[in-house]
Amino acid sequence: MKRILAGAVALAAMGAGSAALAQDIKIGVLYPTSGGGAIYGGPAMVGHNLAVDEINAAGGINGRMLVTVARDSKLNPAAAASAAKEMVTKDGVDVLMGGLSSAVGLAISEVAKQEGIVYLATIPKTIQMTTSKLHPHVFRTSSNTDFEGDAMAQLIKKIGGKKVCDIQLDYAYGHDLADGLKAALKRHAPDVEVVLDLRPKLRATDYNVFITQIMGAGCDVVTSGLWGSHFVDFAQQASPFGLFNNIKAYISGGEVASHEIAGKMGDDYPPNVISNTYELWYHAVSPNHKVFQEKIAEKSGTKETAMWPVLSYTGVKFYAEAVAKSGGTKSEGIIKALEGMTIDTPVGPRTINAADHQANTGQFWGPMVKKDGFSYKVMDPVTYIPAEIK
Amino acid sequence: MLDLIREFSPGLAILLTNPQFAFIQLLNSISQGMNLFIIAAGLSLIFGVLKVINFAHGVFYMFGAYVVHTVFMDWGAPFWVGAIASALALGVIAAIIERTLFRQIYEAEHLMQLLLTFAIVLIMGDLAKVIWGTEQYSVSYPASLKGATDLGITFYPSYRLMLCIIGPLILIALYWFAERTRWGRMTKAATQDREMLAALGINVPLIYTSVFILGSALAGFGGALAAPFSSPVPGMDATLIVECFVIVIVGGLGSLWGTFVGALLYGLVFNFGSVIYPNGQDVFAYLLLLVVLLIRPWGLYGKPEAGGH
Repeated sequence: MKRILAGAVALAAMGAGSAALAQDIKIGVLYPTSGGGAIYGGPAMVGHNLAVDEINAAGGINGRMLVTVARDSKLNPAAAASAAKEMVTKDGVDVLMGGLSSAVGLAISEVAKQEGIVYLATIPKTIQMTTSKLHPHVFRTSSNTDFEGDAMAQLIKKIGGKKVCDIQLDYAYGHDLADGLKAALKRHAPDVEVVLDLRPKLRATDYNVFITQIMGAGCDVVTSGLWGSHFVDFAQQASPFGLFNNIKAYISGGEVASHEIAGKMGDDYPPNVISNTYELWYHAVSPNHKVFQEKIAEKSGTKETAMWPVLSYTGVKFYAEAVAKSGGTKSEGIIKALEGMTIDTPVGPRTINAADHQANTGQFWGPMVKKDGFSYKVMDPVTYIPAEIK
Repeated sequence: MLDLIREFSPGLAILLTNPQFAFIQLLNSISQGMNLFIIAAGLSLIFGVLKVINFAHGVFYMFGAYVVHTVFMDWGAPFWVGAIASALALGVIAAIIERTLFRQIYEAEHLMQLLLTFAIVLIMGDLAKVIWGTEQYSVSYPASLKGATDLGITFYPSYRLMLCIIGPLILIALYWFAERTRWGRMTKAATQDREMLAALGINVPLIYTSVFILGSALAGFGGALAAPFSSPVPGMDATLIVECFVIVIVGGLGSLWGTFVGALLYGLVFNFGSVIYPNGQDVFAYLLLLVVLLIRPWGLYGKPEAGGH
C-alpha cells in the first residue's frame, strides 16, 4: 500500500512537472552541427538563438517561453529523419525547424507529414518541397530553386550570354536548380542554348574531367550551383585551365558570393563570377538590418559574419508570430496563421504564399570584384533580385 | 557509324574525334591516380607488414591537408616546406598511435582492429575541428606551379603535371627502400616470420613502428599535395578512404606495384567512364572492383592466400 501511494505521489509530481513545462514552447531545430556541414549549422544556430533570446527577453509569447531542442542533422537525410521523429515522439516538440541540404529538407518534411507537425524549412531550396511534395504541414522561409534559377536566367540575359554550360551537383538541389534555370531561360531568353549538362556527384573531389568538357564545349556562360567546398575545389582546379578567363561569366547559385567563401579564397577567388547570397556583412539595406548585423557580429565574435543567421532567425520569427496570432501551438492554428502571413525581417518584409507555403525570399546578386579596403573579393554592385516568377 | 556512337554517348564521340581532348583526359586520369597512389601506398604498406586495415588512414590524409594550410597559408612558409611538415607531423602522430594503441591489437581479431582504427577516425575528426574549426579553407598553388604548361598539343595545369611525375618517383623510392636497404629486407622478413626475426635479436616492434610512421607520413604528404585542389574541410576523408580501399583491393592488399596499377586504373576508369557515361561516374570504379574480386579475389598483384598470422 505504501508503495502504491509512493508511486501515486511520484506520478502526480511528474504530472505537475510536465504541466509546468507545458508552459514552454518547444522548438525542435535541426542543423548540421558536426562534420562538413558544421560550417553552416554553427552560424545557423547563432541566428536561431538570437531570435529565441529576443522573444524570451520580451516576455515570451503570451507569457510562454521558447525552448530550443537542437539535434544534429548531419547533412544526412536518414539521420535527420530519425532525429526529427525522436524530437516529436520523445521530446514532444511543438514544431520542427531548420534543415540545410535539400535531401535533408525533404526527409524532415516527410516526418512532419506523418506526424502532423508543422515544419518550417529555413534553408533547403529544392522546389519539390513546395510543389510535388507539398503538404499542409510544410512551409519554406528560404528561397527556392525556381527563384534562384529565375534570377540566373535574368542575369544571363543581362550580360548577353548565348551558349550555356551547366554544371550541377547530382542530387535534389542540383537537379531542381537545373530545371528551374531551363524553365526560366524559356521565359527570359528563349534564344539561349544550354549546350552541356554536367552532374558531378555530391562530395566529388576531382572536377578535371568536367572542366575539360566545359573547355571544349565553346560556351560563353557557365552556370552552376556548386556550393561551399565544392565551389572552392572546382575553382581551384578550373583556374589553371583558364576557364574563368575564357567566359563572359560564371553565374552561380549556391551562395558562393557569401563572405564565407570569398574570404577564405582571397586572391584565389576566380574572376568573372556573378553569384548570390542572403546576407553581406558589409551591406546593410536599412538601419534595422544594421542593428541585426551588429547583434549577430557580437554573438559570432567577428564583424565578418556568415549569411546563415538571417535565415534561421527569420524562421523563428515567423513561427513566433504564428503562435501569437493563433493563440497557441496547435498545428491547425499555426498552419492557418502562417498562410498569407507577412512579417518584417532584417532584410525587409517577407510574405508566405497561402497556396504553396513559400515565402517570397529573394537574394542579393552581383559580380564579385576587388575593392579597396578588402583583402578578398566583394559583391559590387549589390542588387536585390526579388522572389517572383513572371 | 560516328552518328550512332554520338547517339549512344556524345562524350565517346568527342574522345574518338578529338585526340587533344582524349590526351587531356589521359593526363587527368594519371594525375588523379598518382595523387591517390601516394596515399594508398601508405595504406597498403601498413597492411602488408602490420596486417592491420587502417581506417584512420583517411583522417591522416585530412590532417596532412590542414597542416599544409597552416604552415603554407598561415605562416607563409614555402609550399614544399608545408608538404614536408605534413609528412613529419603525421609521422609523429603515427609513432604515438602505434606505440600506445596499435601495439595492443596486433594479435587481436580483425574486428577489434577495425573498431580501434574507427575510433581513431572519430577522435581525430573531432580533434581537427577543435584545432582548425569547421569552415572550409582554400590552399593556393605554389607560385611556380600556378599556371599551365605548354605540352605542344595542349596546355595542361603545371601542378597536375607535377603529380604525374612525383607519383612514379615515390614508387621508385619505395621500391628502392623495400628491395635495396637493410630496413627493407628486415621488413620483408617481419611479414613472413616475426618470431624467427625476433629470435635473431632484431627489434621487430621498432620495424613495425617505422613502417607505420612511413605509411602514415605518405597519407600526410598526399593530403598536402591534394590540398590546393581539394580544400581542407571536415569530412574530406570520407570519400578518399573509400577510393583508397578500392585501389588497394584491386591492386592486391600489401602490394606496392598493385597499388600503383590500381591507382592508375582507378584514374582511367573514373575519368574516361565519366566522359563516356556521365551518369555512371562512381559505378565504373565499383564495377572495376567487382570484376577484379570475381576473377582474382586477392587482387591483381596480391597473393592467393591472404597472409594472416
